[in-house]
Amino acid sequence: MSSGVKPGRYFVQGDEAIAEGAIAAGCRFFAGYPITPSSETSEAMARRLPEVGGICLQMEDELASIHSVCAASVGGLKAMTISSGPGISLKLEGLGWGIKNEIPVVVVDVQRAGPSNGVATRVGQGDFYTIRYGSAGGNYGLIALSPKSTQEAFDLTIECFNLSEIFRCPVFLLADETVGHTRELLVIPEESELNVVKRIKPTIPPEQFDMYPLDNPEVIYYPFPNIGEGYGICVSPYTHNSKGYASTAQETQEKMARRLVLKVTENLDKLVRVERRYMEDADFAVVAYGGNARPAIAAVDMVREKGMKVGFFRPIIVWPFPDGEILNVAEKVRRILVCELNIDGQLSREVARAARGKSEVYHLGSGGVEPHLPLQIFNEIMRLYQ
Amino acid sequence: MSTSGETSKVLHPLVSKYLRKERMPHMACPGCGIGQVVHATLLAIDELGMTPKDTVWVQGVGCNSRITYSTWVGDNVDAHHGRIFAVATGLKMARPDMNFILFTGDGDCGAIGGNHFIHACRRNLDVTAILFNNGIYGMTGGQVAPTSPFGTVTTTTPYGNLEDPFDMCQLAIAAGASYVARWRSTDFKPLINSIKKGIHTKGLAFIEVLLQCPTNFGRYALKTSRAQDVLKWIKDHTVTQREAKKLPPEDIEGKVLLGEFVYRPDRTGIVERYQAFLKKHMKE
Repeated sequence: MSSGVKPGRYFVQGDEAIAEGAIAAGCRFFAGYPITPSSETSEAMARRLPEVGGICLQMEDELASIHSVCAASVGGLKAMTISSGPGISLKLEGLGWGIKNEIPVVVVDVQRAGPSNGVATRVGQGDFYTIRYGSAGGNYGLIALSPKSTQEAFDLTIECFNLSEIFRCPVFLLADETVGHTRELLVIPEESELNVVKRIKPTIPPEQFDMYPLDNPEVIYYPFPNIGEGYGICVSPYTHNSKGYASTAQETQEKMARRLVLKVTENLDKLVRVERRYMEDADFAVVAYGGNARPAIAAVDMVREKGMKVGFFRPIIVWPFPDGEILNVAEKVRRILVCELNIDGQLSREVARAARGKSEVYHLGSGGVEPHLPLQIFNEIMRLYQ
Repeated sequence: MSTSGETSKVLHPLVSKYLRKERMPHMACPGCGIGQVVHATLLAIDELGMTPKDTVWVQGVGCNSRITYSTWVGDNVDAHHGRIFAVATGLKMARPDMNFILFTGDGDCGAIGGNHFIHACRRNLDVTAILFNNGIYGMTGGQVAPTSPFGTVTTTTPYGNLEDPFDMCQLAIAAGASYVARWRSTDFKPLINSIKKGIHTKGLAFIEVLLQCPTNFGRYALKTSRAQDVLKWIKDHTVTQREAKKLPPEDIEGKVLLGEFVYRPDRTGIVERYQAFLKKHMKE
């Protein structure tokens, strides 16, 4: 099967870069339901996947999309689905199945202004907690990366696939309409320069193999046998023991829940990805993520020209939240300004929690539709910097 | 469902051959019809010479699924409630070379998963789906199902069901399934043959089985706890297509038809079409 990597320089949207990243990562099954502003990825997958022997289906709804994607991964194909706002709400139902069964898949959320249908074609950043805590029942860790550019949309999609295989779990790419629809330079390197993690296969015979390593909850790089490989795998919606058999025992529930949480929280060192600018001498920090990092960086550049010691910090991995890195920032600066496209304060709430009172945290919110303007952020820094 | 009973020391040869001994005894209530349908399925599998290596059991959520899940010695994939056809789509597209036998229930297939069912039929997905229709929600304790007859008393229709039941076979036919049939749990031989035919059919084979649930349908709808009473009620409310042709219309009024409704072996489906499409479009 062809690798499908097409090295070169392209002028494309973030949504298209996501599709190219997925194909380069080895994604060979895509199922989706059209929804703005993510449909361009579905269209790109429909064009590109058949060329590399992959399967692309437009399903009857968002539920079918995520369930078929998880099932295709159980069947042995790297798989991805994509959505936005209301579609993500629906996908959360199937996400739980993927999480519980430790299925490697990638779910992309191209955020738009909400709640409900909101403004379908325009940007928002309201799904920050939705993707983290939305799947009912709790008891799981979650990994989500957030790109700020077309290039990162490509790079981080590959990383999402790699992390999904290493951690055996659904991984989110938390994009937004700004990133999805921004047309800019994408450089696709030669295949040999890409780091792609293949599915890890068991090396021990089926009778000795446990599908779910409940007694070693923190283990990663754990093999995932697929159907038809002689391992007699058991995948279900029920709390399972190490073989995958349904159990109602409290001890089993405890072990499974710990496994789903600890495999993420005990491996934070392998996950942290952040961007820092001018942080060395900063006494004031601006924090933003995704597409809204772009005006924030522009505003920080503007105040730096005035000689103000303002730094910029961006969580590239948004879940698990980089608590330690935020605490470092908080211990360094007097004030932190968090800029995000929601009024309720999501990223800012998380930053305030991680800052542990070491610095004052301020929220510059917007309901979305437009990203922040650099000048808005500049003015807010001027007001708070003193 | 109940979980009582000690493991029988002597296992049925089909159980020894195809099921996981450590998963026995199963969870079915006394008198439940699910065992009959699983028995028929295992006989069909055995007669066709299928193996655990090439066959996957796929379940939804409901009594039939909970009882059969992780009992097959091969791979077992149990979906969320209603998502069985979506899951089967992903599995079959990823492994078109394998056989997929789906166990679904009236709630799974006719209510919460109805949309996926219709679209799987429309795509004519090459799987064999067996619908366990007991006319009531068993696992949750006797609530009304989309297949409960008009007037049925259940725990959520204490004054009788005001709605008409779904004819799931008609739905499958209209949506495009290759093979559609309906039997009772007691129609053992036709059921085995039907499952065999379904497995051989390219495209979606949908086999509905009307079965007795003495625990819930018996208790609430018929005020009995005896399986034979429920079986007699099913017998009185069904008629084979062949019998129906000979009877005056008033004698078949309100009865559920049994038999093979469609067999369209030449109808292609998504799996076949996609493979042909890939051959044409794949580069290198």
